[in-house]
Amino acid sequence: MNVDLIVDARYKSCPGPLLTLVEAITRASPGQIVMLLATDPGAPLDVKEWASSVGHKFLKVEKVDDVYQIYVEVSG
Amino acid sequence: MPKISIIIASEKLDKLFPATTLATTAAVMGWDAELFFTFWALLALKKDYEPKEVSTDYKSYEDDLKRAMNFGFIPKWRDILEQGKKTGRLKVYACSTTMDLFKLKADNLLEYVDGVVSAAYFLNSAKDSNITLFIS
Repeated sequence: MNVDLIVDARYKSCPGPLLTLVEAITRASPGQIVMLLATDPGAPLDVKEWASSVGHKFLKVEKVDDVYQIYVEVSG
Repeated sequence: MPKISIIIASEKLDKLFPATTLATTAAVMGWDAELFFTFWALLALKKDYEPKEVSTDYKSYEDDLKRAMNFGFIPKWRDILEQGKKTGRLKVYACSTTMDLFKLKADNLLEYVDGVVSAAYFLNSAKDSNITLFIS
C-alpha cells in the first residue's frame, strides 16, 4: 500500500493521536493514504469512529512491536 | 449531527482536561459542541492567567501530569480547546453570574469566548443535546 503521508503520534495519549491526525490530514488531498503511528491503545478505535463520522475511509490497522499503524484514505 | 453540552465549574487541570477533550473530540467528529464555563472554571478564560493546579484530592499526581504535558505525552487543555474552536463547531460560553462574582468584564476574557450568557440561555441551547455533562 502506498502511503502519501505519515503522521507520528507515538507516545501521545488520548486525545493526542486523533487531534494530531486531524490537524495533519488538512495537508492531504482526496484519495491519499495517511498512516498514523500511535502507541495509545485507544487510538485505533478513536480513528475508526472519527473516520466514519466525518467520511474518511478507515482502511486497516497493523501492530508492529508496540506501535499501531493506522491507515486512512482521505475522502473528497 | 449529534450535539454535546458540557458545564465546567472548576479551573483544576484534571477537570479542564476531560471537558475540553470531549468537547473538541466531538467537534472534530463533526458534532456541535458547547462548553459553559461557570464558577471557578471561568478563571480559565481570563486573559493573562494560566491554571496550574490539579484538585486537592489528586495533588500527589500533579507533578506527573505536568511532566506528561510538558513532554507532550498529554496535550495541554488549552491547545485542545483551541483546536476545537478552529472547527467552528465548538462554542465557549462564560457564565454571567460568575462574571459579576469575579468582577470580570467581557474584555477580560480570551477572544475565543463566544458570549457571556445566563442559565436560561444555556438550558435553552442544551435542551436538544444528545449528551449533557456537568464537570466540577
